[in-house]
Amino acid sequence: MGQLASALVIVIVGVLGCACYFYGSNFLLDKLLPSKNKPYDVVARNLRIAGYIRPWLFLGPAFLALGFYLVYPVVESFRLSFFGRSGEVFVGLSNYAWLFNSDEFYQAFKNNMLWLIVVPTAATFFGLIIAVMTDRIWWGNIAKSLIFMPMAISFIGASVIWKFIYDFRSGDDPQIGLLNAVVVFFGGDPQPWITLPFWNNFFLMVILVWIQTGFAMVILSAALRGIPDETVEAAVLDGANGFQIFYKIMVPQIWGTIAVVWTTITILVLKVFDIVLAMTNGQWGTQVLANEMFDWMFRGGGDFGRGAVVAIVIMVLVVPIMVWNIRRANAEMEGR
Amino acid sequence: MVQSSKRSPLTWLVHATVLFLVVIWTIPTAGLFISSIRDKDQLSVSGWWTALSTSEQRMVTRVTVPKKPLQEDGLYVLTGNVFEDNKQGIVTRFGDSSLRPSEFESGKVAELKRELTLTVLANGDYKMTSPKAFSSRGKRIFYTAEIPPRFTLDNYREVLGSEGLGKSFLNSLTVTIPATIIPILVAAFAAYALAWMQFPGKALFIAAVVGLLVVPLQMSLIPLLRSYNFIGDIFGVGSKGYLGVWLAHMGFGLPLAIYLLRNYIAGLPREIIESARVDGATDFDIFRKIVLPLSFPALASFAIFQFLWVWNDLLIAMVFLGNNPDELVLTGRLRELLGSRGGNWEILTASAFITIIVPLCVFFGLQRFLVRGLLTGSVK
Amino acid sequence: MNKSILSSAIVFAITTSAFSVSSAQAEDLIFPPGEDDRFSWSSYESLKSMDLKGEKVSVFGPWLGSEKEHFDHVIAYFEAATGADVEYAGSDSFEQQIVIDTQAGSAPNVSIFPQPGLAADLAAKGLVTPLDSAVKQGVVNDYAAGQSWVDLATFKDAQGKDDFYGVFYRADLKSLVWYSPDNFDDAGYDIPETMEELKTLTQQIVSDGGTPWCIGLGSGAATGWPATDWVEDLMLRTQSPEVYDQWVKNDIPFDDPRVVNAIDEFGWFARNDTFVDGGAASVSSTDFRDSPKGLFASPAKCYMHRQASFIPAFFPEGTELGVDADFFYFPSYEAKDLGNPVLGAGTLVSITNDSKGSRAFIDFMRSPIAHELWMAQTGFISAHLKANPDLYSSEVAKKQGGILRDATTFRFDASDLMPGKIGAGAFWTGMVDYTSGKESLEVAKGIQKSWDAIK
Repeated sequence: MGQLASALVIVIVGVLGCACYFYGSNFLLDKLLPSKNKPYDVVARNLRIAGYIRPWLFLGPAFLALGFYLVYPVVESFRLSFFGRSGEVFVGLSNYAWLFNSDEFYQAFKNNMLWLIVVPTAATFFGLIIAVMTDRIWWGNIAKSLIFMPMAISFIGASVIWKFIYDFRSGDDPQIGLLNAVVVFFGGDPQPWITLPFWNNFFLMVILVWIQTGFAMVILSAALRGIPDETVEAAVLDGANGFQIFYKIMVPQIWGTIAVVWTTITILVLKVFDIVLAMTNGQWGTQVLANEMFDWMFRGGGDFGRGAVVAIVIMVLVVPIMVWNIRRANAEMEGR
Repeated sequence: MVQSSKRSPLTWLVHATVLFLVVIWTIPTAGLFISSIRDKDQLSVSGWWTALSTSEQRMVTRVTVPKKPLQEDGLYVLTGNVFEDNKQGIVTRFGDSSLRPSEFESGKVAELKRELTLTVLANGDYKMTSPKAFSSRGKRIFYTAEIPPRFTLDNYREVLGSEGLGKSFLNSLTVTIPATIIPILVAAFAAYALAWMQFPGKALFIAAVVGLLVVPLQMSLIPLLRSYNFIGDIFGVGSKGYLGVWLAHMGFGLPLAIYLLRNYIAGLPREIIESARVDGATDFDIFRKIVLPLSFPALASFAIFQFLWVWNDLLIAMVFLGNNPDELVLTGRLRELLGSRGGNWEILTASAFITIIVPLCVFFGLQRFLVRGLLTGSVK
Repeated sequence: MNKSILSSAIVFAITTSAFSVSSAQAEDLIFPPGEDDRFSWSSYESLKSMDLKGEKVSVFGPWLGSEKEHFDHVIAYFEAATGADVEYAGSDSFEQQIVIDTQAGSAPNVSIFPQPGLAADLAAKGLVTPLDSAVKQGVVNDYAAGQSWVDLATFKDAQGKDDFYGVFYRADLKSLVWYSPDNFDDAGYDIPETMEELKTLTQQIVSDGGTPWCIGLGSGAATGWPATDWVEDLMLRTQSPEVYDQWVKNDIPFDDPRVVNAIDEFGWFARNDTFVDGGAASVSSTDFRDSPKGLFASPAKCYMHRQASFIPAFFPEGTELGVDADFFYFPSYEAKDLGNPVLGAGTLVSITNDSKGSRAFIDFMRSPIAHELWMAQTGFISAHLKANPDLYSSEVAKKQGGILRDATTFRFDASDLMPGKIGAGAFWTGMVDYTSGKESLEVAKGIQKSWDAIK
């Protein structure tokens, strides 16, 4: 209990500390550059200077934190990718050379591509379908809530849940994994799902789709509500059926949102680590980049150089999305 | 919205499809919960969907041979009950050989090798006779029993106590609470500056925040570990600890926090802020008295995000927090259990349920804010 | 805003206090000091000369569950004698975690390496502290084949200089086949004396309608390692010890026909659907801790289980060694003149964060009493000559201790000696791929390629 109390103290100290910093620095600024009871030109000058400084007081902590936790590591990882296993000996491009000749990397890369294709597609597709359908029924909100729920579950928790579903019992023992029980019920042979070459990747992807569909659904559902009723009504009057309305009217209208959902899930997929670590640890041909990187960093003595190279690959893969995101944000700001 | 299609068969199809999907999406979690409260012996031999029916279990026990065995009518007699530790059930068949474990019906007197006889009654009482003294190594009795369904909280008791989940629960809270609250203030100030203050490089900064949203966490591990190491050395402390984890979570949560809050704060009515400025309020006053209270929904939604994210995180805790049982968080503990108790589903299901219960409560309690936050962040 | 979250945090705090957490209690000394004179209490008494009051020693190792309990009982004596506060933490992902910890500069004082190869990797980075020559001499004198244990713990440091880095505490005997004597009786099978007989028995069991073997490779992040033991054992039974040594050092490549042959020998057992419980497909996914349970199921799922001496810790509760379960030596080929080789392993206790307490702890770990205390519990064998073999908790363990002490051809687990990336990585993954159906030559080539990549 003492530990939790100290956490609470930290919260209070942290919050007070933050408050003190902001309050104190602003107070100091106002004292040093007073804007009251002074000649007009002094006030004007002081206000101008304070106007330059104050944003940086506001931004300061965030600036430092972002710099230290996100910007610096990117630069440093890039540097480390040219160094040896303990990060001290310069080895030029040899880590990159290793990377392109490594079957291990090739397999992880291939699997990751598979994840990139399947998971965002499936999650967006299911999310859209469910969003459209739940909008039409009276208990839609309850349904949405339940489908959204896995989003709150940690990847590792979800892994346990699904590992249980994929559980395999040999021979004639009763299956306690749901999937095998269903297979046996329909007369099939039980399978050790997570070891089936190639297909096991999909069984792992199902977990992430299960988690992410709710996210896609919520956002797409909001976008669907944004479609003016008149548009849909006009189509109905023209005699369009449900599917035509869906494909010809609704989907094009929310195309931008679909893209946002897609890219958000794509980024998540690139970072997927916990699921693979917990389910297979990359065995049975299920390795992905994030886990590959973790392996190189921390297994068998650790190799910072090679770990960093794999990290760089992940980074390179996100860059297009990053650029697209920035452009979109800029366009938005200009539109405002 | 589409009133015209009411009552059509399509509506029924929609109802059925949604129901089907909801069931698919809920069943995994439901199965986990049901399993976690089942008796561990039943859990390992039958699916959770049979939890309410009697399960048939095949078991084996070894008769205990007392120092002074009973003698009846010139025969040595051994008696006892096959059910240990107060389990109840009905024995249906029994046997004495691993090759034919269910050779005899319960209640029957089985004639075995070396003139032994054995009988096991339905209630589990057994009686074994022999013309000669028993060897000290008792024979095995194989039996098939029907065990009524049993629900128990033992699994939870075990994981919270001896498996150390209780401690991990506290650790998770210790990590999560500060890591959720502290970034909010930092982000709110930055968001305000980015929304309502003018300064050179503002556009660049916003672009940077948007860009940093997608930086993979994995990039940061090695450099940060090295930096922490370096800083730890200077102060002569270990580089692992709660402080490092809190700050790391703050750093990684900031881009989203700033982005969400900026979008929200920028959307506040201009007139309010302008008029306050005209009244001579400084930015700090405006922020404190006007922006902060008005932004409550956005702050809450970020807090939920950050809470879920920190609570569910495995990677950062694994790398920046120690691995000893005093510091292991729930996700880390669960991962350990997956390794060390791989086949003990009673442990895994109960532990997994404990790790997901808090986020689920937060989720269902505060879903409204979460959805709103998602929408501020993504749909514009 | 903050207030409301704070108050909800307090609500959390209150609700969680309902889960009362039992903090680690001071362990009782399970064998009262001085009472049972089979123990070397003198070595316990001599510990008392070290005053380590207030000294904290963190120990990190691979043992969890009941093994952790046993070790905690041993530690209790060190604490009672010296006043030090020892905290042992175990992890299933020791191989990764120790690297994270040492790199982060927050290494535990003492690390217990399941693989010397991993310790060698870290020593090469200067992250392990060399031990005094007095300790080294002690190991040479006190351990059976002492010099070989010293050699196994001698690695190159960051400057490439050889140094001595650790003492072996718990030894494992790998070449064992576990079985249920009752089940063998019921079916009328005899213990095979040679590999030829073992193979015949395997086929015999199948033709009698049974399943001979339970094999499971699952081990969380370390999945695959049990198969490496099989291959090593079979390597020793098909090739001379010298070839084995060359293989360990990669003087002969991994895809050498002699190595590939040993992998195929393992495949003879593990890749035959009728030989293995659950069929070959389930081998790689079955947890190694679960797989021996098949021996004791009703009806028995299998008759034999090849696994190291520590495995009884994972037998079902109440299993009595020597009665419910016993072992026989994994036999060698009669047709090949290679003697009866023994494969073993051991955990290496090293200092990863030097302190007075950790030095003392190392001294404790090589004292007879530390070995005896675990011997008297269960699942421990020792190569320590001064540890009293009468203390083994069962005849089974005593028999194993005897095999270890008297071994003529003893070889250390190859995967534990290979570089971590191979012995705790590519070899494991390769064996998982092999049991899942990949060709042995292809697997061996892949492992060799990984080895080349780290040279």
